[in-house]
Amino acid sequence: MQRLIRSRTGWLAIALLVVMAAFVLRLFQLQILQYGKYTELARASQQRQFIIPAERGKIYMMDGKTPVPVVLNQAVYTVIADPQSIDDKERSQLVDSLREIAGGEMTENVSERLNNKKSRYEVLAKNITRTQAEKLKKKNFAGVLYQQSSIRNYPEGELGAHVLGFVNAAGEGQYGVEGSLNKQLKGRDGLLQSVTDVRNIPLTVGKNNMRIEAKSGDNLALTVDRNIQNQTELALKKGIEAAGATEGSVIVMNPKNGQVLGNGELSDLQSGGFCQAENGSVFVDSASMVPFEPGSIIKSFSFATAIDKGVITPSSTYNNTDCIKVADRTMCNALRGLDGTMTIQGAFNNSLNVGTITAIRKLGNGSQINLPARQTLYEYYHDKFGFGAKTGIELGEASGYIYPPDSAEGNEVRYSAMTYGQSMNLTMVQVAAGFSSLVNGGQYYKPTVLVGTIDESGNLKSSENKVIRQTVSGGTSSQMRTMLTTARRSSFLSKSDKSGYEIGGKTGTSEAVVNGAYTQKGNDCYIYWLWRWKKWCRICHNGTCSGSRKRD
Amino acid sequence: MRNSIAKNRQSIAQPVRSHRPMYQIVLYMGLLLLLGLIVMYALGPQRANVMNYAYGTNYSDTYFFGKQLTSVFIAIVAFSAFYFTPYKWFIGERSKYILYAGFALCILLFLSGAVLHLSFAQETNGAYRWFQLGVLGSFQPSELLKYGVLLFLAGFLGRRSQQGKLNDIQETIIPLGIISGLSLLMIVFLQKDLGTGISLIAIILSMILVAGIDWKIFKKILAIVALCGLVMIFTSPHRIERVMTFVQGDSHKGNSSQENKNYHIQQARIAIGSGGLLGLGIGKSVQATGYLPEATNDSIFAVMGETFGFVGLMAILALFTALLLSILHVAARLPNVTLRLIVAGIFGWIASHVILNIAAMTGLAPLTGIPLPLLSYGGTSMLFIAAALGLVFQISKYTSHKALEEGESGQDLSGWRRLRRTRYASGSRI
Repeated sequence: MQRLIRSRTGWLAIALLVVMAAFVLRLFQLQILQYGKYTELARASQQRQFIIPAERGKIYMMDGKTPVPVVLNQAVYTVIADPQSIDDKERSQLVDSLREIAGGEMTENVSERLNNKKSRYEVLAKNITRTQAEKLKKKNFAGVLYQQSSIRNYPEGELGAHVLGFVNAAGEGQYGVEGSLNKQLKGRDGLLQSVTDVRNIPLTVGKNNMRIEAKSGDNLALTVDRNIQNQTELALKKGIEAAGATEGSVIVMNPKNGQVLGNGELSDLQSGGFCQAENGSVFVDSASMVPFEPGSIIKSFSFATAIDKGVITPSSTYNNTDCIKVADRTMCNALRGLDGTMTIQGAFNNSLNVGTITAIRKLGNGSQINLPARQTLYEYYHDKFGFGAKTGIELGEASGYIYPPDSAEGNEVRYSAMTYGQSMNLTMVQVAAGFSSLVNGGQYYKPTVLVGTIDESGNLKSSENKVIRQTVSGGTSSQMRTMLTTARRSSFLSKSDKSGYEIGGKTGTSEAVVNGAYTQKGNDCYIYWLWRWKKWCRICHNGTCSGSRKRD
Repeated sequence: MRNSIAKNRQSIAQPVRSHRPMYQIVLYMGLLLLLGLIVMYALGPQRANVMNYAYGTNYSDTYFFGKQLTSVFIAIVAFSAFYFTPYKWFIGERSKYILYAGFALCILLFLSGAVLHLSFAQETNGAYRWFQLGVLGSFQPSELLKYGVLLFLAGFLGRRSQQGKLNDIQETIIPLGIISGLSLLMIVFLQKDLGTGISLIAIILSMILVAGIDWKIFKKILAIVALCGLVMIFTSPHRIERVMTFVQGDSHKGNSSQENKNYHIQQARIAIGSGGLLGLGIGKSVQATGYLPEATNDSIFAVMGETFGFVGLMAILALFTALLLSILHVAARLPNVTLRLIVAGIFGWIASHVILNIAAMTGLAPLTGIPLPLLSYGGTSMLFIAAALGLVFQISKYTSHKALEEGESGQDLSGWRRLRRTRYASGSRI
């Protein structure tokens, strides 16, 4: 009997040892033999890679010499729920709190979404502010997550909206500076590789964790001055309303360095505000993106070319007629009845097409704009003033086009029309940059909207805009300024000029094709500069002319 | 440790004088409890984090460690209480009342939960297993029932054994079958708790085996148990699921609850496997941050595998083996049949918990939801196991100095020679 007991407990002990031995073998298999396999499985399920989003650079405009922010980043939160983890009792309370705190940002059918227990991811509200998120977080709802993201904030409202552009939902800049300088603004996203807990929250444990910090995008300071920009937009609006035009653009540039100070853009499309715009074209910056036929403002450039080449002076005379024969065509002045001896200045004041054709003919044999004359004009227009080529401005840009003199299309007729700004497609930025060189002593600056960058502590690091080339001689430039101020004074527009400013300008109208026929009402342009303030402004809008004054 | 009053009382009642208890039991138990505390200290913050997220609770980082510390304290109190309360209190007539109380509470739980829907009956997966007692924590009546069955059957089989009727079908086997059947009905069918049911079966089988039942009858009982087991599995869809999950392994895809089980097993294996030889180190468990379900309870062995590695798990297995062998060592040397059966039952109890838990975690057996004794977070399990060990510790004072041979009375006469301490065989033989 007792031996039996001993044998029975012994039997149990042996059974126990056998089982334990089996465990030892199994653990040896799992932890030693298959260690690699399970480590890999663990890594696959535990390790995550996270993108650390780089902060997008802010955009500043100038206010005098001080940069002021016009595009900021705002932290916003998306409220996400896991309907399986939400306490049934809290469900209605959660909906009530959401409605109370962030009613406007709630997604549709929140209650139904919360009751969808099959789902583990439901968005309850989007783009709520930090304050709203903090309030909600205090309520401690189970199974509710707050995901932070960033949206652009515009403290100046719609000021300069087409210059700034916007950032789309994917975080890419579109149009304006946001689009063209997207890379610089975006910075470089960082990477976090880490072991995480089951909610994907990174843990400090683990061997292969690594972190590459994000590099924030550059904060850009634009040359655009917010006051000038605002005035530009207001004046443009007034001018368009007065003229009943459909759209218009203004560009204000500092001729001393090519910086764009204001860039107004208005069309009836944007009257509802940029946010509501259904058509992307409201963001098109016409000044750099839409080539147009500039018209008589180009006379400044053709006379400057002739003066620079020494074939005429402002006081040279010629015999003016209403019309002139060019090859098989006849080209006429808009202003008739001025037959007789006419100075170049007179031709400029009255915007006489025959005058420019006559002047440019002198680059050739005197009676024709022959190939050498065309080559000279092309050299000035294209190579020096930069017409028909991209300027390199930091905005979306079209190149426009002028026909080369040796092409079939670049014949005498076309070049004759080009002397008064027709038969060519240029952008406002091209004309503005070229015009700056006419009045500043012949120095061509790359047109720019960028002053420089702003560092972490808010200091402006400006980059100097260098002269790219000499267009006309200093003497030609000085004569052009005299011609332009004289022209301005002879114009009805000078009545509104303030004393103490040196203002010169040239109007322009070209014929445009409307419904397949040439009409007199095409692009109306005006180009002028205020010398005292060293600011140069040019207005062009479809339909009529408008004056613009800087009152600063 | 020697309590003079208890000693006097026992020395009168027993043919064997009390002597020094088997201190190894306290040592192994203490080491296991300490290990559990260390791991809980490291896991607590992560656990609190996971719970706070999932259930919106507001546990502090030290909450789980604090609770575990409290549980350990209560366990030590229970251990001491069962050590100092004379074992005579538990056997005889009183064991019957403990059994009845266990039955009654199980029925009460079922009625208040499934019929009356009272809030203190806590529902888990459609079954009611716990009384939720607010501040006092939760209480699992099946543990009490297990205790009642153990003590009652020890007395019953002890009497039959002394009467020489141990193998009598009418007198012994049928009443045994009725009591076992009823208690298993409560646990397996009313509470749907197969894990506790299996440990109850292990308790009963250990007792009848050690009681010296005829091998033929024992084999028949085993056959009946196996048959009942198969019937139970195939009458319950969720058990079929568990077995399917186990048999088909990782590749099996089924409904969501099965996928959860599958996920649990897979994550436990990842935890153990990725621990390697030396483990990731204390506080560096990643699987416990929410990947592994029940990380502090049923899955603590897997977390320890990840934390301490193969070496650590070997130490834990060694501790459990040593503890269980000590219990068997005591059982083998007890002249009193009832006491011997109590100790054998406790062996079956603890051994079944250890084996079922570790087998499930290592993927050698299906998941049964049984905690790992002394290491898992959870008051009830720890309380009852510590109490049982306290009882074994007390009973270990009444062993003869060596394993009993035929014809020996087991009377230890060394005390008569006024030796201060009883010498006893230590671990050389079982």
